[in-house]
Parts: sequence; structure tokens; C-alpha cells
Amino acid sequence: MRKALILSIVVAFALSGCVQKEILDDVNLESGSAYDYVNGKLRGTALVPIYLPDKAVENKTYSANSSLSRDFLSDVQRQSQDPIVTGSLKIVLFGEQLARKKGILDLIDSFQRDPSVGAGIFLAETQGEARKIIESNYGKRGTAIYISNLISHNMKTKDLPKTNLQRFLSDFNQRGKTPYLPQLRLIQKNQIEISGVSFFRYGHVVTTIPAEKMFFFKLLVDQYSQGSLKLKVGKELAAVESIRSKYKMKLVSRNTPAINVHIKVNAILNEYSGIKVTPKELKMIEKKLNKKIEFECEKLTKQFQEKNIDPVGFGHFIKSRTRKFNFKQWETDYQNLKVHVTADVTITESGVIE
Amino acid sequence: MGWFTKKHEQLDEKKSLEEYLQRSHDFKQVSYINQHTNKKFSFSFITTLIDESILQENALPFLLEKSFETIEDIKKIIPIADLQISSDPSEMEQKLFNGYVLLTLETDQKNFAFIAAQKEVVRSITQPEVEFSVIGPKEAFIESLEQNLNLIRKRLPVKELIIEEYTVGTLSKTKVAILHMEGITDPVNVQNVTDRIKNVKFDAITDSSYIVQLISDNKNSPFPQLLDTERPDRVTAILAEGKIAIFVDGSPQALITPTTLVEFFSSFEDYFLNWILSSFFRLIRLFAVAFSILITPIYVATLSYHYELIPKDLMNTLVTSRREIPLPPILEALFLELTIELLREAGARLPTKVGQTIGIVGGIVIGTASVEAGLTSNVLLIIVALAALASFTTPVYKMGNAIRLLRFPFLFFAELWGLLGIVFCFCLLMTHLLRLTSLNRPFLEPIYPPRLTDMKDSLIRLPFRKQTMRPQTLRTLQPLRFTLTKKKKRGDIDE
Repeated sequence: MRKALILSIVVAFALSGCVQKEILDDVNLESGSAYDYVNGKLRGTALVPIYLPDKAVENKTYSANSSLSRDFLSDVQRQSQDPIVTGSLKIVLFGEQLARKKGILDLIDSFQRDPSVGAGIFLAETQGEARKIIESNYGKRGTAIYISNLISHNMKTKDLPKTNLQRFLSDFNQRGKTPYLPQLRLIQKNQIEISGVSFFRYGHVVTTIPAEKMFFFKLLVDQYSQGSLKLKVGKELAAVESIRSKYKMKLVSRNTPAINVHIKVNAILNEYSGIKVTPKELKMIEKKLNKKIEFECEKLTKQFQEKNIDPVGFGHFIKSRTRKFNFKQWETDYQNLKVHVTADVTITESGVIE
Repeated sequence: MGWFTKKHEQLDEKKSLEEYLQRSHDFKQVSYINQHTNKKFSFSFITTLIDESILQENALPFLLEKSFETIEDIKKIIPIADLQISSDPSEMEQKLFNGYVLLTLETDQKNFAFIAAQKEVVRSITQPEVEFSVIGPKEAFIESLEQNLNLIRKRLPVKELIIEEYTVGTLSKTKVAILHMEGITDPVNVQNVTDRIKNVKFDAITDSSYIVQLISDNKNSPFPQLLDTERPDRVTAILAEGKIAIFVDGSPQALITPTTLVEFFSSFEDYFLNWILSSFFRLIRLFAVAFSILITPIYVATLSYHYELIPKDLMNTLVTSRREIPLPPILEALFLELTIELLREAGARLPTKVGQTIGIVGGIVIGTASVEAGLTSNVLLIIVALAALASFTTPVYKMGNAIRLLRFPFLFFAELWGLLGIVFCFCLLMTHLLRLTSLNRPFLEPIYPPRLTDMKDSLIRLPFRKQTMRPQTLRTLQPLRFTLTKKKKRGDIDE
């Protein structure tokens, strides 16, 4: 008993050296990083927030060039007072040149291998250089938190479909599905916006849809909670809000592949420029909405087929319903896929005063 | 010759005892002469132990004025209930020190009488201070065994309540009473307690806490394995459940055995409240205990090893508060924890009025000053203060002390291995708790071994109507508390 006790104490002390200590205030917490492809070299920028005594955050960035992806961190270490650690990474931005020319697969792979990087971090592509976006200051809480919150609230309540490292990797590894990431853009000094969604094939951006089309893309791949949409009904303008949607895919034919997508939408009419909203007008708005959704969604899928990408995952969907599915065959078949979108919009509320 | 020597020895024994007692200042021997028969008689007593007014009013007048011949006659003339006649001198010492007056006749040295004249110096029954409850009975035990037993007897006026008494302590001769309900309590348990009490080897037992430490199953555990209480209502309730109560003369705390860990987190006030409320409070208390043990170690572990776990919104607060601190988190935490322990210890040792000053010194001066001086972060200050506050919620003081101690090994392991260390330490703690028994009954019951019927009164408390069974772990002879008779359906008023 006593021997065991002494032994365990000795072991405890001996093993305590095995765990690496990273005391919170003695490390530099990398909260965001940006990668660019400049002059044939990869340039990494690490964003480290410096917390000032008055609780404001100063954004400090370190940049280094390297040929290997994550290698840049070890170069950056030489510039920083405390060791830079990756555990609190929130966002990773990829510059336009990098995403379109070199590809981001190597970089994604290194994030996947780092155990201290969470699967929930946000990835995004940028218009122009990523470094410019990460070096700007937005708000008091630091750039990383700002961008991270920007993306997360747009995913939760607005038109951006859900993406993060985990989803990106799962889409990437899923045959018959194309991963996508949001695209950010600097609109003026210290102000950014989400400018669209980019689609990747083997780590390269194939195409980008603008922000206006994101709504219809989200209808196809995600569930809505609080999106909103404006449309023209005759001469009047209407805005619908709080849209909840569900999509349901149905395989119609296997030999000449055809899929029916049924999108069910519940919405609230919250603005209408006309004088009165009567049930007749509601019907009209619903009809218009149906038409618009069907048209836009089908247009999107056509566009995807042209670019030979499949972000909705039609391939994956058919595979899951087909025995001995042949992906080789599918690559040619995909061009012939017929997607028919039907929408069913219900306006559940149109205001209290009638 | 045999009888003669025996008589001689007895007389010698009496003589030598008297000589021995003469050396004490408070031993008195007074002789009187009866007015009718001129018989000489004498009182021997210890003045500090007896109430002399009893002698003066109820014994002396009759002995002086009424005639008597033998020692037997005295019984007829003295109006005192507890009057014993004996011829065994070996009883003398014990009786004298129990507050009896020894009466001897000059003519008959062999026989003597003991007159009960104990002086009762008893403080009055006060409100419970350790286990205070806002509602419910306001009586607490006092130091007198007789008075305490009286409180229990009044609450359980049945013949099944058995009170056995033993004397322990070679010097203190402390009376220990073991209470149980015949026909309910498992006789094995009673026998076990009796054996343990009989085997107590110690010179002076001055409080029931001595008994706790002497008869516990595991004497090296920081956890008390006998529940101590100062509430007669609690003792009554556990007797009815089939547990055993131990009273020690001179101690205002009764002991309850066998007990379980969860019982230490139940305040008796829980039974006075509605079951929903009391269940809620019990869960709060449980949470408070877990919080108080784990929060500082978790702080140390996260800040030293797992900064990844800190939410992004909290990061700023934590980093800014830690910015100026020269100490690593473990030293910072130890510094504050020790400060709190010091305050608590100093507050407990000092008289109340000085204690308040300590509170101010501790709270304001040390707290704010150490933050301003940059020795501790204010986040940790809040955490430690909350942990201390949470540890006060344990209704049983002794368990609270055990919990005070527990967080230090947790801190140590948190520093060594971070969260893994906390888990490791938790495993050690669980191993210890699982091995612990109270009167050979599992201490962690009903959590392990899991007993569903006992869950009804553990972490939560179900309504009384659902509490039909006595705790299974006690193996009572009568597992049903009461028989549920179906209520007569009330007929319609017209029928």
C-alpha cells in the first residue's frame, strides 16, 4: 500500500513533464489567419489579438512567406514575443489568387491534422488579397471575432448556407458533392461584406454566385430560419420575412436521371407597398413567389451542371438510392440530369391590422 | 474465618477510599445524632456534585426527628425516590461521583444507603445554531444526556424505543446511550454499534466527535461516516427509519449511523418544505458542492493547459484580468484559496465581535488590495469567493470541512495534468467513496449500489405518500413504513 503510494507520487511528478503547459497569458493566441499566393509563394498572415487593459482589442498581424503551407507559423514565431498557438483559431481566409490558382487543399489538410484547431472554425474565400481583410480593424472586439460573428449570424438567420471546416471536409470527402465557402469582400476601409458563395473542385474555386442568389441556393441545401426576400407583384413591392423552408428531393427516374425538388416555404408578409392586402393579393404573392423560387433554383442547378459542380449533392442523393452506383458513369450523366423544382409558399401572416 | 476476612476487607476498602477522598477539598463527611434514639449517622458526599438543599430539606429533618433503628427503616422516613441500600463498598466510588450521598449508621458499618441528590447544572434548551431552520422545531440538544433523551422520548412515546446505556472512557466514565427501535432496526446493526462502543479504548471521551473517530469504519477518511446532528426532530425521524442514534453525555451532538453520503447534503428543513422545493434545494446544494470543489481546479487547468476551451467572448475578460499577474495560475489560486481558508479559520476561532472585523479585513482589504496590487486576477477572486460561498451550503458542518480540504488535491492534479488530472483525481475520490462504508453499509448508496426505492429520499425528495419503504440499505425488520389503505371513495352528497 505504502509502496504503491510512493510509486504513484513519483510517477505523477515524473509524468507531469510530459504535458506541455500553455499558460493563457504567456502565449500569443492566433485567432485568425489569412493565406495569399503572391509571386509564386505562399504568404501566411497570423492575426493575434492584443487585449488592452481597457478591454479594447488591438489587432496585431504577423506575415511570413513559405513554400509549405503551415510552415509559415514557425517563421512567424521568430517575430513574436510569446509562442503563437493555434488553439483559439476562429477564421481562416483564403485570398483570391490562392483559391483560384494554387488551391487550398494543402492548407485545409493541415488544419484537419492540428488537434487544437476546432472543427467549427469558419473558412472563407476573399475577393482580392486576404491579408488586406484581416489587417483591417472592425469594431472593438477584434477582427477575428468580428468576421466570425459576421459569418455565423448570416448563417443562422440570413441567406448564407451553413459551412465550416467540418462541413467543408465532409462535403469534400463525399463523392457527388461539392464543397462551398462564403466569399468576403472589402467594400471600403474597415468594412467588409459577404459577397457570395464560392464553389470548390479539388480545392480550386470553380465559380462564385453573387449574394442575391444565395437565398435560392440556401433553399436547396439548407433550412431557413429567418431569411427575407423582396419581390415585385405587378406594380407593387412586397417583402416577406421569417421564412422557414424545407426541401425534399425525389428521384423520378434512374436511367435518364431526373430529380424533383420540392421546396416548402412558410413566410410572413411584412411589407407591401399596395393599399390593402386581401386574400386575393396574398394568393398572388404566393404564386409569384412560387414562380420566382422555381425559376431561380432551376437556373442555379443548370449553372452548376454547366460548371460540372454539384454543391446540392444530387450525385450523393442518387447514390444513396441506387444499388451499385457508378460514379464514373455519373460524371457524364450529371450533364443530362433533369432537375425539376416545385415550390409551395404559404404566407402565414400578413399583419395584424386589416 | 472466611466471612470475617471478607468483612474485614470490605471495611478496609471503605476506609481506604475515604482516606483517598479526604485529600480532595470538596469531599465532606458530616456526622449527626438522632434526637430520639441518639443514634449516630453520617453523610459522605462530594459537595461540588450534589445539591445540598435536597439533603437539608428532604433528608436531614426526617433523619433527625423521626426514629429509626436499622438502615432499612430509612426508606420509610425519607421522601426521596432514588434511595438505594447496599452493602457493596465497591459501588461507593462510582455512586459518590455520580452525585449520590452516602449515608452510614455508626452501629451498622456494613450496610449503607445512597441518596440521590445530584446537582443539575444544565443550560436551558436553545435554538439549533449549526443546523438552523427557519421553520420547524426550534429545539436543540444540550450537554445533558438525560435532557436529550427526554427530548427523544417525548417525540417517540412507544415501548419499542430502546435506550441502552454504556460507560466508556477509563477516566471520564462517559455515559453513552444507544437508541434504536425494537422490531424495526436490524439487530445486526445494533449489535455492531454496541460492540464498537464497548470496545472503545480511550481515557477521556469529552464529546461525541471522539466516538465518531473511534468507531468509524475507515478512520483515515476525511469524510465523516457518522452523521452528527443537534436536532431532536432529525434523530426522531432517523430512528423511525430504522437507523441507530448514539448520545454521549456532555455532548450536544447526537450521532446517526449507518448513514450515506447523500444524507450529509440533506438539511432537515427539506422535510418541512414541499417536496418540489426541497428537491430543488437539494439539487442546488449538490451543484454547489461540485462547484466549490471543482471550479478553482478547472480555472487552473484551463488557463494552464486548455486555452482552447475558453469561449471567444470570455477570452478578453480572462486575458485582461491575468495580464499584470506575475504568478502562474496555480500559485495565484493557491494564494487566494489559502487566504480564504485563513479567513475562515480566523473567523471560527475568534469571538463573534472580533470576527466581524475579520470579515471586513478579509473581504475588502485583502480582496481588493490583492487585485490592485496585481497579485491575483479579479476573475479568480470572484471564482474563489463563489466557491467559498458554495461550500457553506452543506448543511452538515463536518462534511463542509471535508469539502474544504478536497479542493487542494484537485488543484494539485489540475496543475500536474490539467483536466486529465482533475478526472484522475475524481477517479481517486470515487474509488475512496465506493470503498467507504458506514457501519458496514455502503456509503454511496443509493447511487452505488443503485437502489431505486432509496432514490426517493436522496438527491431529490419525493412526497411523503411515496415514501412507503424504509431505506433498503438498513435491512429493517419492517420494510414498510405504513400500509397504504385505499381511501374510501367519498359518495355523492345525495346518495
